Amino acid sequence: MLTLLFALAVAGPDTAAAPRAPAQDGPAVVVHRQPALPVAALRLSLLADDPAGYAGAGHFFQHLLLPSLEEQAGRVGARVQAVRTSDAVVYSIVGPAEELDYLAGVLRSALRAPASPSGTDLLSALRHLAEERAAERETAPTYVRAALRAALFPNDLPAAGTDEAAARLEGADLGALWGRMYAPERVSIVAIGDVRADAVRRAFRALPAGSGAGDGEAGIDTVPSLAADTPQATRAWIGRAYLAPDAEPAAVSVAARLLRTNLRRRMTRSSVEVEHWWTHHGQALALVVATPDSLLPAARRTVSGALEAAGSDVSAASVADAARAVRREMLFYSRTPERMAEIVGGFADRGDDAEAAQRYYARLEEVTEDEVRAVLALLAAQEPAAVEVPAQRIPREGRR
Amino acid sequence: MSGARRTRSTVVRALALAASLAAVLATAGRAAAQDRVVVRPEPGTPVVAVEVLVAAGSADEPADQSGIAYLTARAVTAPVAALLDSLGVRLSVDAQKDAVSLTLTGAPDVWEEATRAVLAALFRDPVDSAAVTRQRRAIVRELEAREASPADALAGEVERAVFGAEHPWGRPAVGRAETVARLRAPQVDEFLRANFTPDRSIVAVVGPVEREEAFDFLRPLLGFDALKVTSVDPPAPAESPVRQNYNSITTWVSASWHFGDDADVEALRMLSRLALQRVEFGPSRRSVYNARGELLRHAGGGELRLHLVVPPREAEQWADALRQAVAGYADQALSPQIFAERLRRYRGERLLELDLPEARARELARAALLGGAGESLTGLDGLTPARLRDAAGSLDAPIVVFLGPSVEEGT
Repeated sequence: MLTLLFALAVAGPDTAAAPRAPAQDGPAVVVHRQPALPVAALRLSLLADDPAGYAGAGHFFQHLLLPSLEEQAGRVGARVQAVRTSDAVVYSIVGPAEELDYLAGVLRSALRAPASPSGTDLLSALRHLAEERAAERETAPTYVRAALRAALFPNDLPAAGTDEAAARLEGADLGALWGRMYAPERVSIVAIGDVRADAVRRAFRALPAGSGAGDGEAGIDTVPSLAADTPQATRAWIGRAYLAPDAEPAAVSVAARLLRTNLRRRMTRSSVEVEHWWTHHGQALALVVATPDSLLPAARRTVSGALEAAGSDVSAASVADAARAVRREMLFYSRTPERMAEIVGGFADRGDDAEAAQRYYARLEEVTEDEVRAVLALLAAQEPAAVEVPAQRIPREGRR
Repeated sequence: MSGARRTRSTVVRALALAASLAAVLATAGRAAAQDRVVVRPEPGTPVVAVEVLVAAGSADEPADQSGIAYLTARAVTAPVAALLDSLGVRLSVDAQKDAVSLTLTGAPDVWEEATRAVLAALFRDPVDSAAVTRQRRAIVRELEAREASPADALAGEVERAVFGAEHPWGRPAVGRAETVARLRAPQVDEFLRANFTPDRSIVAVVGPVEREEAFDFLRPLLGFDALKVTSVDPPAPAESPVRQNYNSITTWVSASWHFGDDADVEALRMLSRLALQRVEFGPSRRSVYNARGELLRHAGGGELRLHLVVPPREAEQWADALRQAVAGYADQALSPQIFAERLRRYRGERLLELDLPEARARELARAALLGGAGESLTGLDGLTPARLRDAAGSLDAPIVVFLGPSVEEGT
């Protein structure tokens, strides 16, 4: 991100971020030039919720298309990914910069209305969704996060959808369904690497037209209760999550980091993660702790008092350390064009403007003690979403 | 293979390896004149990656202290781990045949402080016996956990087959659990003082740095002496396929082709990729459970290696397939159109191997260790069908290793 600030401060038009207004002659495009290696990372996101009653549709389309996208990407030694986030249906590709037009073509092909898939392809895509649904509930780390998310953001349905929605997808008019999701003005592009803005805009100028389909028949998505599941766990898991509406995102990130440092220092025999969740549904801070079964009561007490304990840890030095750590993690994570596109694109997907990523990075350094205390107080004032997974025990008679 | 062909192949191989020995000494001579600092400014990269290669490896270890180089590197850098963590700098330590690799990745505002701390730990600070004990125990645990790994077992057999059981490079660079467990702090201290010295080290820096500032920072820390490397005896490779019984339901088949230090490395790397595509799992090769290819470089040249995991009864067949996968490219140059398609794919894959700044730093440091110069990361430009064909033609018959259950003849 330091590089982004540098680039915007001194560089010419090729590194200028295009404004993210609804575009008349092409999607919103953000380009950052990094000529270190002759590669280009392109990220295409379609801001769309799954149609009501068809939870998982966006990711289902991705599974239908992914084999073809991978085959196309393979011809030029490129790598393609398809991810369904809470905000968008995202396709990304990274490959040689000299293949920019080809790479863009691969991504554009993902926006065309799906042709009638063969029975094999259809079943394969549905099977992938089913496996992902099961995997989310099978093991404690993903189960805890899914349960907390469902409690805080009930409208944020799982990317893999539901069993009932999958059954509806099997018999649905996929073209019409896609038409309800896709419109060119909902597409945004991020390009990072040895690329120039004008070339990227040209490569994405001609997007498939939308069908103009409306919302269609409204359905209902019912998510099975997570409480009915028994995920595998060799340790006891504790999850707590707090909504952080209207909080300054940089302050939430710093507070999360500070809380993590505090808890890890106090819970040396447990694994502790504190995460800042941030989507267009809202912000939250989530604690996920895995602890030996024998330490569960003590771990519960520590987690219950975590916010208060972290509050007493707040000082100018600790806030500065936490902010610095978050900034450095961002730099480390975004050290490839592909990952930097992911970071920059995440801001765009939440509806932020092209310079939001830079502003966030700069803002981290400005977070004050008062802001962190305010975030912790905001969280402490509410009843958190809570989930626990006990460690599985082998019955004595089952042991050899 | 017939007796006559084996004899001729052996003679040819021996001559090639003798030439490699001369090349090793020549490499050392070239290295004496080369710069031990490589800087690749990349203003757009958000982090700085620093690769420190200390040219101390198996050839510097007493035979009963196998793994001491790796233990030394981990033990002397352990005391600075807290500092690096506070700076948000990642450090990884890796043992190679001819060097120990230390890779640092961190923010631009802390890379100098982190590098200074690590170099001081390597070249100046005394050994901490508690750190030696902790790291020794950790390495022994890691090695014991890997004892059941067939991939590790295969690697060990291949090294012995390619270099000879008595050759230092025939031993695993990280040592074995039993050898590492016997190492003690005084031995580590002695090894450190003798081998972890600035004149044995190369540093490559990649990221948003100013070239001259980086040079001015590093040169005082590394000194101005020529690079010192240990010369290595010629390998004594196996003269026939090696068959090692292993308790598994599949057989691991490996083929290694040696090349000299005047080889066309980029063409060989492309060859390894293309050859792998001929043998890896596919619609007509459903019994290949796993496949891997790699190009290894060291003083004197290197090896092109292909490994497969296949059903035991098909092992011989797949060994032949490996041989043919490479030899087939020597028979005739690919047509321009087909070559262009292959090159197009290879170019992308090769570039993506280098998309991490630390990968680029490692590539540059190794090239510098082997006498390469400059900041060029790849030799993709100028690859031709003829170069590919000639690279395949320059290779002798491979050294083949089978690791798996024995299969009775006729069953």
